[in-house]
Amino acid sequence: MKVTVYAVLKDYFEPSFDIKENFSSVEDLKRRLEEIKPSAAPVLNACRFAVNDEFVNLDFKIKEDDNISILPPASGG
Amino acid sequence: MFSGDVRDNNIGKEVAYLEYEAHTSLASKMIKEILEEAIAKWNLNLAIAQHRSGRVNVGESAVVVITASKHRKEAYQANRHIIDRIKHEVPIWKCEVFADGTKQWGNNCNCSAITGKPDQHIYETAATEK
Repeated sequence: MKVTVYAVLKDYFEPSFDIKENFSSVEDLKRRLEEIKPSAAPVLNACRFAVNDEFVNLDFKIKEDDNISILPPASGG
Repeated sequence: MFSGDVRDNNIGKEVAYLEYEAHTSLASKMIKEILEEAIAKWNLNLAIAQHRSGRVNVGESAVVVITASKHRKEAYQANRHIIDRIKHEVPIWKCEVFADGTKQWGNNCNCSAITGKPDQHIYETAATEK
C-alpha cells in the first residue's frame, strides 16, 4: 500500500512511501509507524486518516492496493 | 468578502513568508461540501471560497470567502462559519518561515499558545464572546 504524509509528518517520514507488510486496520498501520519512528507518536495520535480520499476511522480494514493519507490537524487560513 | 492576509509577525517573531500545503483533492471536495451546506442553511445567493497553496508572501491573501445574501446578517454569519470550518477541518497546512530562517508548521491555530485555551483565539476577548 502507498502511504502519503503531510506537513509536519514529513519531518519524520518520507513524503510518500510503499509498505509491503499487510495490516488488518488503520490502527495496525499507525502502530507500525510508531515503532519505526517513536518520536512521531504524539503527532500520529493527533492525525486523521483518509483512504482513497475518504476519512476513515482507526478500525477501517485496509486493503493491499489502498492509498493511505495521514493528515495532521489542519492549520489553513 | 473575507480575505485572510498574511501577517508580518506571529507570537513575537518576524514572518518572512508562509508556505501552504494541501491534500488538494480532499480539500477541494470538503470546501465544496462546506459551501453547499452554508448556501442551504443561510439561503445564500452565492458562496465562494478559495485557498492558496505554495508560497504566500506577507501582505498577500492566503484565503478568501465570498458570501452574498439578501441581508447582511446571513452573509456575515455564513462567512464566519465557512472560514472557521476551512481553518479547522480542511486538510490544508501552514508552514511559517521566519526572517531568521527557522520554520514552524502551524498547529490547529497558534492562538492557544497565548490564550491557554484551545478554543479561544487571540482576537476573541471575553468582551467580544458575549
